[in-house]
Amino acid sequence: MKPLDPRLIARIGPARRYVIVTAVLGFLTAFTILVQALLVSRMLAPVLAPSPLVADGIAHLAWLVPVSARDLGAGVPWLIAVVVLRVGAVWIQERLAHRAGTQVVSHLREAVVEHATRLGPRWIASGKGAEVVTTVTRGLEGLLPYFVRYLPQLMLASTVTPLMLVVVLGIDWLSALIVALTIPLVPIFMILVGLLTRERSAKHLEAMERLGARVLDLIAGVPTLRALGRERGPAARVRELGDAARRATMGSLRIAFLSGMVLELLTTLSVAIVAVSLGFRLRAGDVSIETALAVLILAPEIYLPLRNVGTHFHASADGMAAADGAFDVLDEKPVVVGTPGGLAPSLRGAPLRLDSVSVATPDGARYAPADLSVEALPGCLTVLRGPNGEGKSTAMLALAGLIVPERGSIEAVVDGSAVQLADCDADAWMAQVAYVPQRPDLGVEGRTLSLGQRQLVAYDRAFAAERPVLMFDEPTAHLDGAAREALVGRIVAAARSGATVVAATHDTLLADAADAVVDVTAARVADEEVQA
Amino acid sequence: MTAIPESQTPAAAPRVRLRALLAEAEVGKWAIILSIAAGTMAIGSAVGLGAVAAWLIAKAAQLPSPADLAIAAVAVRFFGIARGVFRYLERLQSHETALGGVVALRTRTYERVARSGAERVLGLKRGDVVARMGGDIDAMGDAVVRSIIPLGVAATVSLIAVVITAFMLPWAGVALLAFLLIAALVSGLGTWRSAQRAAELGTKAAARVSTATLEAIDGAVEHRIWGRSGDAAAELREADADAEHAADRAAFPAAWGAAALQAAQGLALVAALTLGVLAARDHGLSPMSAAVVALLPLSAFEAVSAVPTAVMQAFRSAAAARRVLATAPEDDDASDIDTDVAAPSDATLVLDSVSAAWPGMTPTRPASATVEPGGALAIVGRSGIGKTTLLLTIAGALAPASGRVSVGGTPVTRATLGRTVAVTPEDAHVFGTTVLENLRVARGDVTEDEARDALEAVGLGSWLAAQPAGVDTELGSGGHTVSGGERRRLLLARALLSPAPIHLIDEPAEHLDTDGIDALRALVAAMRAAGRTVIIVTHDLGILDVVGEVISLDGSTSPR
Repeated sequence: MKPLDPRLIARIGPARRYVIVTAVLGFLTAFTILVQALLVSRMLAPVLAPSPLVADGIAHLAWLVPVSARDLGAGVPWLIAVVVLRVGAVWIQERLAHRAGTQVVSHLREAVVEHATRLGPRWIASGKGAEVVTTVTRGLEGLLPYFVRYLPQLMLASTVTPLMLVVVLGIDWLSALIVALTIPLVPIFMILVGLLTRERSAKHLEAMERLGARVLDLIAGVPTLRALGRERGPAARVRELGDAARRATMGSLRIAFLSGMVLELLTTLSVAIVAVSLGFRLRAGDVSIETALAVLILAPEIYLPLRNVGTHFHASADGMAAADGAFDVLDEKPVVVGTPGGLAPSLRGAPLRLDSVSVATPDGARYAPADLSVEALPGCLTVLRGPNGEGKSTAMLALAGLIVPERGSIEAVVDGSAVQLADCDADAWMAQVAYVPQRPDLGVEGRTLSLGQRQLVAYDRAFAAERPVLMFDEPTAHLDGAAREALVGRIVAAARSGATVVAATHDTLLADAADAVVDVTAARVADEEVQA
Repeated sequence: MTAIPESQTPAAAPRVRLRALLAEAEVGKWAIILSIAAGTMAIGSAVGLGAVAAWLIAKAAQLPSPADLAIAAVAVRFFGIARGVFRYLERLQSHETALGGVVALRTRTYERVARSGAERVLGLKRGDVVARMGGDIDAMGDAVVRSIIPLGVAATVSLIAVVITAFMLPWAGVALLAFLLIAALVSGLGTWRSAQRAAELGTKAAARVSTATLEAIDGAVEHRIWGRSGDAAAELREADADAEHAADRAAFPAAWGAAALQAAQGLALVAALTLGVLAARDHGLSPMSAAVVALLPLSAFEAVSAVPTAVMQAFRSAAAARRVLATAPEDDDASDIDTDVAAPSDATLVLDSVSAAWPGMTPTRPASATVEPGGALAIVGRSGIGKTTLLLTIAGALAPASGRVSVGGTPVTRATLGRTVAVTPEDAHVFGTTVLENLRVARGDVTEDEARDALEAVGLGSWLAAQPAGVDTELGSGGHTVSGGERRRLLLARALLSPAPIHLIDEPAEHLDTDGIDALRALVAAMRAAGRTVIIVTHDLGILDVVGEVISLDGSTSPR
């Protein structure tokens, strides 16, 4: 994990204004902290000094908080004003800061989903589609702490920390030196601790994950064990595994928390050293009481953003992992069928041809279909037949313009001359095709219908669209006797009215009604290559 | 799919009692007290550092002998080191306590789910079981680390700061106490209200986003064909806007809480400074005391500022606890399975006009049949007609909607489930362990030879031969490392080894090819030859030749 992921920063886009608001508020807060420290020093100093204060201990900053603030009557109203300003900054920050996060997450989600829809039907069917849904919904929500807490703190750490250091340098160079020397130690020690413990913690983490997975495995099997009457034994095993997992987890936490301890130790100890050094130099008369108070109050504030960055970085880890998943999707190359903005021939009355078409299976081991040649004529029902897995559905996807075959060509014969799908605009081609897949998706309202009912609604829609080409994948599956015959009748009628109808099926009723039947077969890639 | 929002809490959610929960988690009082003590030392060190440093500066200003500063200097350095060390100890102690509690809680919940009503257990979806007993119980552990202990530390550290201040200047102590209370209460209430709003509005909005996302991706092909990709994208954008709005509404009370916290801290500083300076100037308060009183509010609020996060975690953990309790209620009568059921001498299964239904569903049409030991029966019908429900009723997991199921004249109950009547559900679990252990799930004393024979019988002989470790081959949890057909056959081998005289198998032919169907036939024949009764539920009419009798839930009962 990088402290700053450039891909995420690039995605901030229109949410930039909220990031800017956050940055401005961060500066405002830092400014109020500074003024507050100076005011408190001014007001408290007179009662601590053994004799009336003459010298100005924070003369550098007298333009900001004048000496007159030593008087309570003058200082307190200013202090109240500073408090009000700081409260306002907190209110606006909490009110608006999350918008940067929610907007970036929304935009990223929309971009990933939009991109995923262009990765083709086979990518979605491979199960990655389901993964993406989880990643962009629950996963990306984990990014909110990144934008709402981590990023602002990182900005403060890289701006306010050096600025405060400069202010302290102006008041008391020795304290500034102590702080300046310890700040680089923070990352150095944390990296050292990380390096020294990496191997051990990786081993612990692995043991922890393995044990955790086994507990969940036992738990997932409860219904199965109950069904076999064997549910009583594993409770002891759940405890045993759980205890082992707890020990492994504690082992890794003992190491993981070390870096947190180093951070706390360095930052608090250096504040303590600054305080002690101020005390002795004040006693020796080297610094004034106002100087000592101001530095004492400001020193912890220099470290605060650094400490917060560490905390919030860990809180955003899950979200950043999800973001990685989202960017991986965005890196996938979309499936481009045909030539965008290319030819747009009318398919009405045009014979469609698949010429020696082979499509590789996702694992690349087979072609399904292999070397398929089909001519689908207008006014005819053409049936693709064959066992499952031979590539009937894939052939339909290729003909519909949804995927690109590895070999062979797809063309339409328009006015006697062949037009390649590869030269056509895929959207124009698709707009003339009414394609109904095996499990039609009718959107939210379709979820309450049974598969058979959904099928019928999808077919009603396909026939009503009156598109010149109709493609149906297993149209009669999930339908019983009468409904099946009725649908076959409607399919044949559509062909008779002039449409080009292609159906994949192994239903003999539909095959018997066809004008042409083509057998679809698959082949191993190696076999084919040998033959060729 | 998994993108279902988590907080679909049932309407009648059980009340969660913290004390009972901690007792259940075996979290002792002292473990919590120890963690709070370490946490108090950690944040208390910051308060101590602030107080002693203020004293040191004030004392130094009086130009004392250097020896007078020495002790304070040591104390300042001590607090500087103590903070990191005690914070480390507190984190270790609190995580140890929480993790131990999680293990105990998980074991208890496991026992309770395993022993609760079979109709409940068999009705559980695997994803739900894992979510309830995985993440939700972890969230209950988080309550200890991120809620109970920080709140305890906030109380003790605040008290210490108030006592120190009051000891030096009583009115300043009263003021600090008042502002600390305001900070804790207002920020806590604001956060609680935000969490409620997020649960009400946010959950609904998140569900809409999930649906829109799912819709856009699952329907991508059809949206392109019908030119509706734009609509799906627009719906997602609207859902996102909805979610943004919900987040915005939810942030509102929390923003007031955070502002109140900041205001209380600021005003506490103003009050302490004014009171301290006035008392030193007019009433003889020592400069050292004045400095401590005036500067303490700068460090005293650190502990209280953890209240919002702690309250948010308490809300989340309570929701998780309610979900867990809803899955595994305490009052579910589990006593019936504690008595061992002897195998019946007569294993004749009689269905007497049995119809099955989940509460609120239309019952299946009544079915009657008598199956002698060694017989076989198939239940067929359209999907959704209630085949699996009837199967669970015959198993004794679900009381019949009407009619009676008996074995050897005794009605089946939850107690007979798994003993007299065993079930292989369609989504039966393959455990992440060896092949042999997966078969021993059916019967603990299965030998390696028995396992090999059973695998041979279901046609996994050549598969087993190809595995280098044989029956000791490790399988992935959920059976992801084997194909659908291999998984199905493994489950059939498990059924073969089960000692129950009657075995019910849901959709045994799913994912099986022609060879697999042949193996299924051989398996049923073997089980019947051994005098065991086999009941199958299927929509595959091609395998009906393995049974003697068929009940169709669509049409009439037709003996064959």
